[in-house]
Amino acid sequence: MFDDGTPIYRQIADQIKAEIMNGSLEPGGKVMSTNQYAAFYQINPATAQKAFRELVDEGVLYKQRGVGMFVADDARDRLAADFRDRFFERVLAPLVREARQAGIPLTDIIDYLKAQEGALQ
Amino acid sequence: MSSLANLRLPTRRYALGAGFALEGLKYFKYWVLAALVLSFAVPLVISQYSDVALSAWYYTANVGKWFTAFVGGGFVFTLVPNMIAAGLTRRELAVSMGVFGVLWSLVLGAVAFAGILGERAYYDALGWSQGIDASDAIAPIGSLGDTIAFASYYPLLYLVYFAAGTVIGIASYRWEGAGWLLLVPIIPVVFSLDNGLYDTEPVGPGWAGFLGLFMDGWARGVVIATIVAVTAVLAAAAYRILIDVPLRSKKA
Amino acid sequence: MSFTVNLRNVTLKYGAEAALADVDLDLEAGKIYGLLGRNGAGKTSLLSLLAAFRRPTSGEVRVGGEPVWENAPIVSRVALIREGGDFDDSETVKAVIETGQIRPSFDTDYAYKLADKFEVPLKKRVSALSRGKRSVLAAVCGLAARAELTMFDEVHLGMDAPTRDAFYKELLAEYMERPHTVVLSTHLIDEVANYLEEVIIVDRGRILRHADIEAFQGMGATLTGPADAVDALGLAALAEQRLGGTKSITVADALDKSVRERAAAAGIEIGPVGLQDLFIHLTDPNRNGA
Repeated sequence: MFDDGTPIYRQIADQIKAEIMNGSLEPGGKVMSTNQYAAFYQINPATAQKAFRELVDEGVLYKQRGVGMFVADDARDRLAADFRDRFFERVLAPLVREARQAGIPLTDIIDYLKAQEGALQ
Repeated sequence: MSSLANLRLPTRRYALGAGFALEGLKYFKYWVLAALVLSFAVPLVISQYSDVALSAWYYTANVGKWFTAFVGGGFVFTLVPNMIAAGLTRRELAVSMGVFGVLWSLVLGAVAFAGILGERAYYDALGWSQGIDASDAIAPIGSLGDTIAFASYYPLLYLVYFAAGTVIGIASYRWEGAGWLLLVPIIPVVFSLDNGLYDTEPVGPGWAGFLGLFMDGWARGVVIATIVAVTAVLAAAAYRILIDVPLRSKKA
Repeated sequence: MSFTVNLRNVTLKYGAEAALADVDLDLEAGKIYGLLGRNGAGKTSLLSLLAAFRRPTSGEVRVGGEPVWENAPIVSRVALIREGGDFDDSETVKAVIETGQIRPSFDTDYAYKLADKFEVPLKKRVSALSRGKRSVLAAVCGLAARAELTMFDEVHLGMDAPTRDAFYKELLAEYMERPHTVVLSTHLIDEVANYLEEVIIVDRGRILRHADIEAFQGMGATLTGPADAVDALGLAALAEQRLGGTKSITVADALDKSVRERAAAAGIEIGPVGLQDLFIHLTDPNRNGA
């Protein structure tokens, strides 16, 4: 389930973020413990802990001593802004680069995207 | 090995030693039983054809010495890797082997003792002579007192054979292919002392008793003292070889 | 209380040949370590020292803060499981398990439970077990030892893939229930990578690298693109391959942002390097200055 290259803790952090974004984890909701994560994904608990620590640092999760980890109330807003930035950096920037290499004018891409939006509506 | 549950660290070496002795006896119980039955049955068969002038039990008890040497050597050879891998120190294993050797020799010595006295009664009842092969002539062991004295050396003899076997066993583990060569100095010493104790011919290769030539004039007390000293030297040698033995690598 | 490990200037010689040369190593308590190295690199020698199976020629080996050699309170809580196990072959599986009780911490019920789970028949003699079942029995005894430092040396050999998977699962469950120090020595690196917290690579009797698993995962990269463009980046390659005008190189270091941007602009594909491949390149005997 994990790809090579990206550290596993980051993949787990990304997955928790995705779950918050798509609503399967609610703000204020409790997150599984590190050991539950470790057992579920068959990974070292320290790796799961690293993911949690990163999410706590980013303000996505907060820790209640002796109780567990919870999703921050404003987690979705934080992630949305973050997601937008990353979307441009990780998805659109390479797209523009590849299009340029292939000699596809940007206007063609814009037209294509507009047509997609029309199809969705 | 059974009954090891609830072992405590400071005393486990003693419990293990007793456990080895028990395991050894349990493992070989049918052999011992068979030897017992044979020793009493064979003279009965012989008596149908000729006079019984030799103690059969004497041979059984003497074969027991070699057997004891094999037990000491075989056990230590197997136990070294298994026990150290199971978290025992070499020092603990050495103490366990010591306890094992003493208990084993005492138990087997007691069996030998009882056997000789039992055989005396048995032979007396049937009018046979309980003789032993002593320097070229077959002679009866003698009075009851003589028989008791003769039989009571067995625990010590078993112990010296046990120590000899253990040295050779641990040396064979430590120096694969060369350790067994310790047989060369050890066998003649032990065998000759055994031979010299009662001026008898123990069961085994006669040539190995050549050192007996030098012991002819020794008093019995001197021979016993020498056996005790040799046992101590063998035990010390076994300890020395064991105490820093590296475990062999696994064959790839 | 799990055990730390500290080696100082440790050398182990077999005759004139040094299996380990002047090794320093510190392991924190309570982590799972992966020990990697080519055959003959010194992995087994290293583990043998930690379990006091051998004494170093020189240097100091401490486990749990104390010299491990002939230290009963320590070695009774250190378990090194070697491939095929250290058993008396003439004994039954049950007797082998009972021998484990020499350790005061040994959990006999757990051992029986595992033997049942992994289908090792208690009444069978060890000599009658297949290679795989022998390995399983060794692993069972290792887990049930409930030691504070547990080391598995190539214990997976002979186990089939589902059994290995079940073993790793059990190891992780036991570790989470009772944190202790674990060292896994294996060639199946990718199979165990997710279980590890730190990785130690041994090469030619020395510690080549010792770092968090993440450091290794972020470490290498492959760059594939037009040969001229790849060469123009001027990176130190661990390995390289050419196919026509295309060149692919593997580098050991993490790429910084400017290199990534230049590479992307020149049409060079950047890919990850698995721990296994990284290991192969790092320990390549033809590589200079490892």
